[in-house]
Amino acid sequence: MLIKLSGGTLIDPANGIDGEVRDLYIHDGRILHEAPQGERPQKTYDLGGKLVMAGAIDLHTHIGGGKVNIARAMLPDDQRSHPRERTALTRSGGGHAAPSTLAAGYRYAEMGYTSCFEPAIIPTNARQAHMEMADTPMVDTGGYAMLGNDDLLLQLMSEGVSQEVINDYVAWTLHATQCIGIKTVNPGGISAFKFNARELDIDERHPHYPLRPRDIVRTLSRALAELGVPHPLHVHASNLGVPGNHSSTLATIEAAEGFPIHLTHIQFHAYGTEGDRKFSSAGAEIAEAVNHRKNVSIDVGQVMFGQTVTISGDTMHQHANRSHAHPRKWTCMDIECEAGCGVVPFRYKDKNFVNALQWAIGLELFLMVDDPWRVFLTTDHPNGAPFTSYPHLIRLLMDRTFRNEQLAQINPDAAAMSLLGSLERQYSLYEIAIMTRAAPARILGLADRGHLGAGARADITVYRPSDDAERMFGTPMLVFKDGQVVVEEGRITAPVKGSTQVIRPEYDRAIEQRIGKWLDRYHSIGMANFRISDEEMAEGIGSPVEIHACRPRSAA
Amino acid sequence: MWSTAAREALQPITCPFCGLLCDDLTLDTTDPAQPRLAGGCERARTESTRALTQASAHCLVDGAVVGLETALTRCAERLSQSQAPLLAGLATDVNGMRAALALADGCGATLDHMGGDALFRNLLVVQDGGWLTTTLTEARNRADLVLLVGTECHTRFPRLVERVLAPPEALFGEVAERHYVLLGPWSETAVPSDLPRDRTTVVEAPKDQLANLGSLLRGLVAGRPARADAIPAVDGAQLTALAEQLLQASYAVVVWSAGELAAPHAELEIQTWVELVRDLNETTRAAALPLAGTLGDITTNQVCTWQSGYPLRTSFQHAGPSYDPLLNRYQDLLAREEADCLLWIDAVSGEQSVPATSIPTLILGRADMSFERPPEVFIPVGVPGIHHPGHWYRSDAACPLPLGQLRDSDLPSVAQVLGQLLERLRAQA
Ligand code: SF4
Ligand SMILES: [Zn+2]
Repeated sequence: MLIKLSGGTLIDPANGIDGEVRDLYIHDGRILHEAPQGERPQKTYDLGGKLVMAGAIDLHTHIGGGKVNIARAMLPDDQRSHPRERTALTRSGGGHAAPSTLAAGYRYAEMGYTSCFEPAIIPTNARQAHMEMADTPMVDTGGYAMLGNDDLLLQLMSEGVSQEVINDYVAWTLHATQCIGIKTVNPGGISAFKFNARELDIDERHPHYPLRPRDIVRTLSRALAELGVPHPLHVHASNLGVPGNHSSTLATIEAAEGFPIHLTHIQFHAYGTEGDRKFSSAGAEIAEAVNHRKNVSIDVGQVMFGQTVTISGDTMHQHANRSHAHPRKWTCMDIECEAGCGVVPFRYKDKNFVNALQWAIGLELFLMVDDPWRVFLTTDHPNGAPFTSYPHLIRLLMDRTFRNEQLAQINPDAAAMSLLGSLERQYSLYEIAIMTRAAPARILGLADRGHLGAGARADITVYRPSDDAERMFGTPMLVFKDGQVVVEEGRITAPVKGSTQVIRPEYDRAIEQRIGKWLDRYHSIGMANFRISDEEMAEGIGSPVEIHACRPRSAA
Repeated sequence: MWSTAAREALQPITCPFCGLLCDDLTLDTTDPAQPRLAGGCERARTESTRALTQASAHCLVDGAVVGLETALTRCAERLSQSQAPLLAGLATDVNGMRAALALADGCGATLDHMGGDALFRNLLVVQDGGWLTTTLTEARNRADLVLLVGTECHTRFPRLVERVLAPPEALFGEVAERHYVLLGPWSETAVPSDLPRDRTTVVEAPKDQLANLGSLLRGLVAGRPARADAIPAVDGAQLTALAEQLLQASYAVVVWSAGELAAPHAELEIQTWVELVRDLNETTRAAALPLAGTLGDITTNQVCTWQSGYPLRTSFQHAGPSYDPLLNRYQDLLAREEADCLLWIDAVSGEQSVPATSIPTLILGRADMSFERPPEVFIPVGVPGIHHPGHWYRSDAACPLPLGQLRDSDLPSVAQVLGQLLERLRAQA
């Protein structure tokens, strides 16, 4: 079937197109710029005056895996207060901060998203993450496997094995867990907490291994670069949420020694200690560092006011934050000599000085980092806020008047301590399209999405232009997934299932012997079961894999 | 390993017969007609032999042998007539539970697991205040003090000591210096023989005093003015020593099996152990290791939680899920006659697990299932991990493992049967 999208205004930064009126065709789930010879469209959408973008991509959203499910189990009130009823086409199940997988998929699609990436997959829990994502309809998914607190990596590094051995282990992990990237969370710190350390700064020695977090960041970022994995090391830096943590964030950037590095939810890592309350914004310093180092990308982890739940692999800091739990409950878990997780519900209040300043710091970062290709639109769902607040966030970025109105509502001391009121920048639609489409596709190595070029996957979102960006991005007019209309006027019209995006760097299989022996000696799961096969993904887990290309492998 | 082809001999096999989910078993096919599981514990061998050698069975409607189509037709009729169907038992794998949720959402059913009581003893505590737990591998490598609450953990989970509590070696600390403290009425029970005698202490305590003992221990650990001898049947000096040991330990692990702690309001007792663990973490490290997962309670609860947003004991009777851990207990729904059709699913236990009820009962069960009274419909299904591949959660809820297929079988899986049933219901609608 040939579909014609007639006369829409294209915003396609990956191809340098900003507001050109052009026809597009959809054929076999792919985008074409010309109708194939002799074929006439069976269906034509008249998109005159409408904006056409690629489907949006969220590169950091906690939508699947053990810790998300702990949050759901702990917070039945989150469901109760946000029910979603079944329809003739869609299943029931709601939620807000910790939505059901079904609700998350539907809601993402209703907002024009077509791919989402779970950033914190503990290798032994990868099956669960993929099963949950398989049950997240409408979107393609993928994940980043967590390394850097696993005793095997720490042991290998402590023994001083060559970088090549590390690279093989990293590559094996990507294969075994069916992931597309590697994340490190509080490098070494989750492990250190198991030894009762309550903090571990970037240059502090781990209580057991002769290693510093800095070593882990360097080794892993180098491994990914040498393996040709497109996505840089995804780093949740040391000292999450600690006043004054901007210095460890800057040191983490340095630790990559020029290798590509992505700092996630950097808002939570951009705090100074100035002022009476010893809590201040370091947004300007962090933004400057990012602006100057082209190997660095960030996502913000914007805070929005209201009830949410924080879920993180960073047990060390989640445990430290337990007294802030709202409602008053929290869970922490040490997991399989690999990592851990902590779940602490939280309510951000606009009249609270710290929360208000967190909100302002996030916006400062968005507005002070110059290059929209290196800053990504996230709330670190649900840690800063649920992903459903993206349209509101986009309006804050695009509309200075609106932003200043909101600024006037927050804790006045926080507002006074932030540069936000003086920042005049307003994001353009083109820049929003970069940060939500073109850039995430590029940084993940997804050549066939995030753009509207010929041959791209036909994941397309059509908006009615509006002065109110929140309204416009909240309810797109049409969403196509793989060439099929799945959302009309913000409502699901065709439920579909996605696939899992993976990457397969080459490695020397000799590493498997070493890993296998380690698992046999110390673990409770053997090699054969650790690893998830393609057949298992497709038939058992229910989300077949799609393999994306690596860059050529470079020498260690 | 996930495998849809029946096994060759000697590959590692995952055992679905308790929540430990040991994955180091092999299939012995020396006698191809009588394949047997090798390795693992006695229970694994008995249960697998029973499942591997069960006679094939037919669908029954009103006691008469019928084909699957006829049985499904009757099920669909019953479910579409029902105002308040109950989908319970739920001893099934991930895909079985996925199908059960789709069906429940489609026909307005309420869901509960046959082990729901034990499951909710833990879950109510998690929902009230949260907890701090660990997993099998972490405990295996890190525990320097193990507190076993109750007397049944090692019999309910036969390889617990071998695989977790007293492994041959560990990454951190010396296993040979690990201490074990057993709390409970041990005078009536044999202490696990695989625990080292010289490093095992028994604190004798009646079952109904375990909750008090936990509170007292918390007080002692916190240095509150508590009288260590406040519980007449328990040796106060031992408790004082234990409190000190817990504070000195680098990584104490507190183990219980909620299935054993069956006193009324056992969740309050569990809460005490959870709070003890959390108190200890003020100064040192400690974690709970709640044992569960046998018969798929953790598996089905996980799937229910991610798909509906709520744990089990959730009802889809209205336009969306509503959760009530007290009202939606399946035994009570039956007793209060608030369900008018029971679909009972037990693909694993092979026990006589079906509750007695006068409402129409439809069963998806093992081929060798026996009944007191033939149900209205019986559909034999395969055992996950024996007749078809599947996924199953371990006790610690962090590690779902693939179950392979050990033999060719024409028994359908729960997922297949429920999928067909939902199609029929949709076709009727
Ligand atoms: S301990 Fe449990 S899982 Fe392990 S072999 Fe025995 S029954 Fe199977
Ligand atoms: Zn995150």
